[in-house]
Amino acid sequence: MLKIIAATAKELLLLMRDRTGLLVLFLMPAILVVVITLVQENVMELTGQKKTQVLLLDLDQGELGRSLQKQIETTNLEFVVWDEVQKDGGAIQTAVANGDYQVGIVIPQGASLRFQEETARLFQPGNGKRDSREIPDALSATSLQFFVDPGVMAGLRSSVTAQLQMALTTIALEAKLAMFGRVLQEITGPGVSQQDPLFNSSKLPSLFRQPLLALTENQDKSRETETSLYNPVQQNVPAWALFGMFFTAIPIAGSILQERGSGIWVRLSALPVSPLVLFAGKIAAYIGVCLCQFLLIALIGAFLFPYIGLPAFTISMNLTATLITALFSSLAACGFGIFLGMACNSYEQASTLGATSVVAAAAIGGVMVPVYAMPPVMQRLSIISPLNWGLTAFHDLLLRGYSLSAILDDLGRLFLFFIVTALLSWKLAGVRQ
Amino acid sequence: MHAICARSLVMRYKYGAQLALNDFNLDVQQGEFFGLLGPNGAGKTTAISILTGLFPSDSGAALIMDMDFQKKSNKIKQIIGLVPQNIGLYDKLTARENLTFFGKICGIRGKVLAEKIQQCLEFSRLTEHAIQPVATFSTGMKRRLNLAVGLLNDPQILVLDEPCVGIDAQSRHLIHEQLKILNQHGTTILYTTHYMEEAQELCSRIGIIDNGQLVKEGIPATLLQQSGMSNLEELFLHLTGKGLRDQ
Repeated sequence: MLKIIAATAKELLLLMRDRTGLLVLFLMPAILVVVITLVQENVMELTGQKKTQVLLLDLDQGELGRSLQKQIETTNLEFVVWDEVQKDGGAIQTAVANGDYQVGIVIPQGASLRFQEETARLFQPGNGKRDSREIPDALSATSLQFFVDPGVMAGLRSSVTAQLQMALTTIALEAKLAMFGRVLQEITGPGVSQQDPLFNSSKLPSLFRQPLLALTENQDKSRETETSLYNPVQQNVPAWALFGMFFTAIPIAGSILQERGSGIWVRLSALPVSPLVLFAGKIAAYIGVCLCQFLLIALIGAFLFPYIGLPAFTISMNLTATLITALFSSLAACGFGIFLGMACNSYEQASTLGATSVVAAAAIGGVMVPVYAMPPVMQRLSIISPLNWGLTAFHDLLLRGYSLSAILDDLGRLFLFFIVTALLSWKLAGVRQ
Repeated sequence: MHAICARSLVMRYKYGAQLALNDFNLDVQQGEFFGLLGPNGAGKTTAISILTGLFPSDSGAALIMDMDFQKKSNKIKQIIGLVPQNIGLYDKLTARENLTFFGKICGIRGKVLAEKIQQCLEFSRLTEHAIQPVATFSTGMKRRLNLAVGLLNDPQILVLDEPCVGIDAQSRHLIHEQLKILNQHGTTILYTTHYMEEAQELCSRIGIIDNGQLVKEGIPATLLQQSGMSNLEELFLHLTGKGLRDQ
């Protein structure tokens, strides 16, 4: 045990003497988590997970515009209203075409009046007889101009179009129902209509808005904590902390290769100490580095992100389980680093192989793009990535609100990966002598 | 009792049929200063590696103080000190930190370690530079510290693989003098070198190795007398040939 402590102290001293290297280890994931989260915050907007801004130019300034804005309040859209005095339809088209806004809508002058006239025409009395009405052959729709940036993803285009169409359909339906109520009033007479809300033209639309069929989302009752909603912060903080932790594999490999390249490894091999003791010293020191990396990224997420317009990172009630996951991920990362140091013959080999394998494991593990968004082949492949095991465990804790017992399989995989890489390194240590 | 005993050691290179050691036999008595000489690729480092337990031979036996590495590796490692040819020190650590780390790895602790470190610093004349990082040392200072680290565990047997390569006359002289003192105090020394005058000055007995075999061994003066040569270099070239060893 004392030899492990000596080896750990030596590793920590070496790390502290290499301040530039240490700074890179902490700065790299810190910069990545900030940049990628800011970028993904915008992607979430595009994928409908955040309100999409729609540019509105209301040249009509009538009831239709007000109704539309009211309807939009309940959707995932948000209007940015342009002043009609300064702008026209051409300006909105240019703004959308230039990509300043992804979607734009123009309510033409007189649209409210035309819409009211068309609605009234639906129930127009015929031939002067009070109870005789003509159903018109066709109604003329009041058209609103709609612009979409050609560069917008198809999913966003469909989502925005559907939500706007739904809002317009609701407005039209409510207008028709209001008109229908008035007609019923005329037909049945004031005596009946005053008593029955069905014949009340002002109450009828709200009555028809009441849903008779509903979709209710069920929550898993087994979860210990309140579920945190998905956002890029909850995804990226653990993801890029994991990436940084696995990147420490390169300096670990570098330290081993430096010892192997000089007379240090030969000297240590001739001393009464097992390579496992020396590995344990390195692992202990670098686990400290990995946990500090995780804490730094978590603190950035919790305290810096709100200042730059991002949601704050929350660990909620699963702090212990989260730290245990970080510890097991660190073990796996250190095991990989030691294996890399023993398997490679030069620092160039180790840094190239290490960087490539960590980036590839991060990509297939869901660090850069969530696994569910990958093609089926890549989704199947993701289960071989240790970063995926760590990330799945973090997501289960931080996004799905599961307890420690629910992530034991992922922790087991990470630990097994560490054991296998450590044993292979020990075997290689014998071969390298 | 032999301090070092090699019996019919055979070691094959990992790839190819060439033998690094071919029926290599060696006996070094306790308290001897034995010089192992040989051209490049003769098998010196392989022999030393097997005799210090870095790796096992393909066949044959390597015994240290009558103990077999296969059975008592840890015990043997406690009585052997190895000074590797490549400097085995952490550049970013100071001389004292290097000595502290390797001392603790040898199992030395507390006051004993502090005293041992002080002795080693004085031995290598580096007391004034104890808190300087090794990276700032000259090659001579590094070589002296490299030797001092090998002495931390008070080894009964000290194995040195070309410890004076690339250093100035002053550092070489100091190392030679210190090794003589160690030997006078009973430490058995196995010393490999390319410098014949160094071997002639230091070693009580020498062995010349070539193609993985010990081709000659004995007291330098006796060997010269028997061969009729005037110096060790002449004898060495006579035994190993003048052909270049570029393999």
